[in-house]
Amino acid sequence: MLRQTGMANFQKIWAYLFTVGMILLSLFPVYWVLTVSLKSKRDSLANPPLWLFEPVTSSYLKLWNHDTFKETFFNSIIITLIGIVLSLAIALPTAYALVRLKLKGKNLVGIWLILAYMLPEFLFVLPMFSLYQWTGLYDTHLGLALMYQVHVLPLSIWLLSSFFREINPAIDEAARIEGCSHWQILTRIYIPCTLPGLVATAILNAIWIWNELAIALGLTFSNAQTVTLGVTSFRGYAALDWGAMTAASIIAIIPMLLFAVVAQKHIVKGITLGAVKG
Amino acid sequence: MAKALKAVGSLSAFWFILPCLLTLTFTSVYPVSFGLIVSMTNWNWGNQFDFIGFENYLGLLSDSEFWTVIGNTITFSVSATAIEIALGFYLAVQVDKLKVSTELIRAVLMMPLMVSGIVVALMSKVMFDPFLGIINHLMRVFGMGPSAFYGAANTAMPSIVAVDVWWQTAFVFVIMLAGLRGLPNDPLEAARVEGASEFMIFWKISFPMLQPLLLTVVIIRTIDTLKVFDIVFGTTGGGPGLATEVVQTFVYRTAYSYQQIGKAMATMILFSLLILLISLALQSLQRKVESS
Repeated sequence: MLRQTGMANFQKIWAYLFTVGMILLSLFPVYWVLTVSLKSKRDSLANPPLWLFEPVTSSYLKLWNHDTFKETFFNSIIITLIGIVLSLAIALPTAYALVRLKLKGKNLVGIWLILAYMLPEFLFVLPMFSLYQWTGLYDTHLGLALMYQVHVLPLSIWLLSSFFREINPAIDEAARIEGCSHWQILTRIYIPCTLPGLVATAILNAIWIWNELAIALGLTFSNAQTVTLGVTSFRGYAALDWGAMTAASIIAIIPMLLFAVVAQKHIVKGITLGAVKG
Repeated sequence: MAKALKAVGSLSAFWFILPCLLTLTFTSVYPVSFGLIVSMTNWNWGNQFDFIGFENYLGLLSDSEFWTVIGNTITFSVSATAIEIALGFYLAVQVDKLKVSTELIRAVLMMPLMVSGIVVALMSKVMFDPFLGIINHLMRVFGMGPSAFYGAANTAMPSIVAVDVWWQTAFVFVIMLAGLRGLPNDPLEAARVEGASEFMIFWKISFPMLQPLLLTVVIIRTIDTLKVFDIVFGTTGGGPGLATEVVQTFVYRTAYSYQQIGKAMATMILFSLLILLISLALQSLQRKVESS
């Protein structure tokens, strides 16, 4: 008996130790890169690396005056917003139709969504180049946000469908008898009832769009370059300019970390549901 | 028109789903169809656009570079997925045992997941730098020899796997923790009353109930790691030599550096078929587990 409680205690202590260890492992790289971004050029090249140093903001000031990088940051904000609006506007009626309306070939649509979501980016992006140039969508915010739908639309439809399924279908029937159209049922009942789910969907889409690289690499050149490409541009002379590279990385992370803190529950809900549905 | 309506179901259903069908046609059906055509040409982004049949495909299948790239991709996918599943699931089990509020713990552990792949890649370059990087410094402190990490053929792939593990383990953790929390309490309590050890309870009760969910996560991580691009592109770019070249970086190089868009598309189509095959195999495995 004594041995068993001793064992149980050890297991409890181990659970805490292991969790703390994993937290440190998760945090340390971000902490370290943050310190490098705050080091003077001389300090960042010190050998052995410095744990204590006098923080300077010169790398961030340099980025602030770096017009191209600043532009990519604001491009990403615009593209993310367009991408979210498009995905919700298209996914909301689709999810409603899939969940509540009589529709043939629902399974086929389902398979199509899975394929679009699952297959690799360059399968879709490489053949788009010429069409995008021809239609003028190449290197535009709208063009990139549109192409992102191939990934965010399936996810949005799955998530919204699962939220819609939680609504009692008897409500629709009552509303139908009152003379409401399906559109009214969607906009006046379903959307207000599933607002938290809508927010979760929008946030997950935002995270994905903000962090995307391959599609942006293939379909933009200068005007609509995203922040991930802005960060990539520091890759070349990385060995020489750690300050700018790490500062750019930190700036690109910050909006997503704010999301993670503010909307953790939504994100967890979205990731979990997305995994089960997808 | 009436006939067409009957075919889809109802008029509102048709209008409700039309924007989605148009968008998906534009972003997936068009590129895949045009891509199939391109894969049978020698297109170079310019005027050279001759139909050459299956030459690209046959060329790839007899090209040792292609098979090296496929091998690298599978090596990466299998090792990253295996480690992430084991570590993420174990972490979820441990966190589930904690008697404190785990909301903040989960938020912190999820942080790597919020970071974009290219930023993860650049961060790792700073940390893995052979001369000035903190990792080599820490290894020296613990008496381990300095490693070249991305710089040498035998350490480059393990380094990239390690980076993906840091980045994506939290995905497994978040889902499996939700799964553990969602388990019905009664059988667990009953077993505890019977005096079963925590270890036995986990293996005999919790684990079998979580198996379908775990397999879902395995499928998602496998497909996701097969598609790896950002962290290779941002670190080694496929090198040294071909040591870390994976399908999507290989295709990027073929299409944009060598302007062999036909060959790149053929690679993409073969690779997509491979992904389909793997996911179908995993899904049938999952059905078997669920039915047993």
